[in-house]
Amino acid sequence: MRFIQFTQPSARSAAPAVRFGGRFGGAGIENEIDWLFGTALTGFAGTARGGQFPVDLYEDKDNTYVRAELPGANRDAINVEIVDGSLSIQASRKEKSGEGENTVSFSRLVSIPDEVQADKVSAAYENGILTVTLPRKEEAKPKKINVAVN
Amino acid sequence: MSFFNTLAPSSNGSCAESDATATRRPRYEVVETEGSYDLTVSLPGVAKDGLEISDEAGELTITGKRTAKLPEGLEVLHRETSDAAFKLVLTHDNTVDAGKIEAELKDGVLRLKLAKAESAKPRKISVS
Repeated sequence: MRFIQFTQPSARSAAPAVRFGGRFGGAGIENEIDWLFGTALTGFAGTARGGQFPVDLYEDKDNTYVRAELPGANRDAINVEIVDGSLSIQASRKEKSGEGENTVSFSRLVSIPDEVQADKVSAAYENGILTVTLPRKEEAKPKKINVAVN
Repeated sequence: MSFFNTLAPSSNGSCAESDATATRRPRYEVVETEGSYDLTVSLPGVAKDGLEISDEAGELTITGKRTAKLPEGLEVLHRETSDAAFKLVLTHDNTVDAGKIEAELKDGVLRLKLAKAESAKPRKISVS
C-alpha cells in the first residue's frame, strides 16, 4: 500500500495579505491560478451562481409578464420555451478572458401562475432585459415556442 | 507594482439616501492590458440616454438610469430586481488618459477602454 501525501499550496501562506480583487502583483503563481479559477467559475463578475439571473414577475388582467436581466446575451442564443406550465429561459453570453473566449450559459425555470395562450407569447430583448409577455387564458398541453427576439 | 490596484472603487459610503436617489453599485470587471484598462460594467435596463460617464480629479463616475417601461396597472407577483439607478465610482489617480476613453453600450453591457496615461506606461530608459 502506498501512502501519498499531497498538499495544496495555500494562497494565504505563500503571499502577504490579498488585496482587492484577490490579485497582488508578484505574489506568485498560486494566487494567479486561484484568481483564474475564481473568475472562471463565477463568470462575469459573479453573475453566474449556477447560471441564475434575476427575474421579475408581473401581471395585469390580460397578460403575465416575465422580465429577466440578461445583459450582454447573444440574441440568437436566447431560448424561451413553455414546458408544463413553467417558462424556461435559456441564454448564453460569450466572454473574452485573456486570449480565449468562453461561453457562459444561463438557465432558469419560472413557474407561471395561470394558464397562458402559448401561441400568443411574445418576447423582446432590449438593453439587456428580456421581457416575455404571456397572454392569459386557456392552455391545454405543453408546447414549444420559438420566439423571435427582436 | 500592480496598476490593477490603482483602479479601485473609492469608498463612497454606500449609505442609502432617500428612495428616489438610492443607487446601487453594478457588477463590473477590470482587465489590465499593456496599454489600457478594459472595464466591463453590467448595466441591464440602461439605454444610452440614461447613461452618464464623467471623469474628474482622478475619479471615473458612471451613472446609469434604468428605463423601465412598465405599463400602468401592473400587479407585482415577484421581484428580484430593483429599480434603483446604478452608480459606480472608480479612482484611478490619473493613471488613465481621460481624453482617450472609448465607451460602448450594448445590450445592457458597457465596455470602456481606458487608455493608460503616458506617465503610467513602462518607459524604457537608455543608457548613453
